[in-house]
Amino acid sequence: MSTTTVKKPVRTGKYTWNGAMITRTVASYGVALLMFFPIFFMILTSFKTELQAIAVPSLWIFEPTLENYTEVQERSDYFSFAWNSVVTSVGSTILGLMIATPAAYSMAFNPTKQTKNILMWMLSTKMMPAVGALIPIYLLCQKLGLLDNVFALIIIFTLMNLPIMVWMLYTNFKEIPSEILEASRMDGATLWEEFRYVLLPLAMGGLASTGLLCLVLSWNEAFWVLNLTSANAGTLASLVASYSSPEGLFWSKLSAVSVLAIAPIVIFGWFSQKQLVQGLTFGAVK
Amino acid sequence: MNASSKPKLSFGEYLPKIVVAPTFVATLIFIYGFMLWNAWLSFSSSRMLPKYDWVGLKQYERLFANDRWWVAAENLLIFGVLFIVTCLVIGLFLAIFLDQKVRAEGAIRTIYLYPMALSFIVTGTAWKWILNPELGIQRMFREMGWESFSFDWLVNSDMAIYTVVIAGVWQSSGFVMALCLAGLRGVDENIVKAARVDGASMPAIYRRIIIPGLGPVFFSALIVLTHIAIKSFDLIVALTGGGPGYATDVPATFMYTYAFTRGQIGVGSAASMMMLMAVVAIIVPYLYSELREKKQ
Repeated sequence: MSTTTVKKPVRTGKYTWNGAMITRTVASYGVALLMFFPIFFMILTSFKTELQAIAVPSLWIFEPTLENYTEVQERSDYFSFAWNSVVTSVGSTILGLMIATPAAYSMAFNPTKQTKNILMWMLSTKMMPAVGALIPIYLLCQKLGLLDNVFALIIIFTLMNLPIMVWMLYTNFKEIPSEILEASRMDGATLWEEFRYVLLPLAMGGLASTGLLCLVLSWNEAFWVLNLTSANAGTLASLVASYSSPEGLFWSKLSAVSVLAIAPIVIFGWFSQKQLVQGLTFGAVK
Repeated sequence: MNASSKPKLSFGEYLPKIVVAPTFVATLIFIYGFMLWNAWLSFSSSRMLPKYDWVGLKQYERLFANDRWWVAAENLLIFGVLFIVTCLVIGLFLAIFLDQKVRAEGAIRTIYLYPMALSFIVTGTAWKWILNPELGIQRMFREMGWESFSFDWLVNSDMAIYTVVIAGVWQSSGFVMALCLAGLRGVDENIVKAARVDGASMPAIYRRIIIPGLGPVFFSALIVLTHIAIKSFDLIVALTGGGPGYATDVPATFMYTYAFTRGQIGVGSAASMMMLMAVVAIIVPYLYSELREKKQ
């Protein structure tokens, strides 16, 4: 056997496996693990009994139990909160897309002198603290009998997300050459046909990521939910908060509620990673 | 195909304005309408119920005489600055790190970005556990034999606001990473190669060429992070509940407490007016100047 061996990096795919590469990959997974740890521990805790959850030392191996999940459903009717979350986030996403798409379309393909300014102004309103509108909206809802009402939430979520939706769709539409639309118009397509058969297929990716962003933002919205709703229209955010508020805590039930609240987004997000990344970065990452 | 039909532009001439109108009007009402209403309330003597009389700056005087308000304002400043700066730094480093060719980069990027998809309420809950001295990190280290290890920031009123920063950074640094990574991929490789040929070291290339080129990326990240910082309500409610005492109050939780649980609508609306004015005075001008420059 020769003492000098030529190091031959193993080629797999387009990358080369060498020491540095392995170190980097291991390290990046390490960081990923570290980032995922709070969630992982929460999931673990949700399968423990309350006693196991606060056991000393921390339990890593134990017999999992589903009692927290069944008890959450029994005690506070998880599904009714989850249904409210679905209704408000899907409702506001659809409503938002319906209002924002034509607006973004018109700004992208029929710009006027004011278009840029209007867009800038809309974006700047995102900086306005929501607390500034809270008391008036609360009073308005009270007057109209819309406190603790899902329709009020849908409208507020839509208003909240509109500027960012218009902005994202606008930048997306901007990348579509307007010649294609003009050509279809020349061929006698009506505005609807032009929209439906030419623009929509081209803009699908952007619409999907905008929609997903709006869905995630509405799903996670807690400020308006906590302030304007109670038992009737409460979403999962308020369910989690209701388990979290008193200092005498039921850790494993709180964990179970939290896991239930994020599970749909985490699972749904994993299967639409491309849209998730694009949406969560507000369209910046293609 | 159909030679007889003319381009139908007549409808299209006024339609663009009509379709922009709903968004425009909605934003206008949502922002200015409610703000004006709020301003009106802040000049009234409203307590439990709204009143529409005029007491001048009385509510503002009461607000400024309130220690708790100043704690809240200071907390927002501490949280905002630390949160934004730390997110940008960590996000940039994670992006540079991931940019070095790592296996299964797509999956890792999604995992790093995942916290951003979670509700702040859940983030707060998860971190409340980890930061709890009896249950979380402190106990873990003590179990491992480091008896004197102490990490009680969550229950220490001087340090509690920093735990909010930790949880916030955890949630949002992956977002900055994803933006920066996209920015790094957009850097012209030929420039980097040329700099290398000229003998520049990698740190120098990053410092002089690549990071300055990420300017627009930092700006977008800054907009979103500032928005999150101003909005910080859910995270604090879930993580500290404003406590211990009112050590981690921010203007949003302050306003909520006064307007809804203490029956002080006037003071609450004066507090939110102060928030609005701070934003209008500092952030909006910056935003406009940056965007103007971009346009030219």
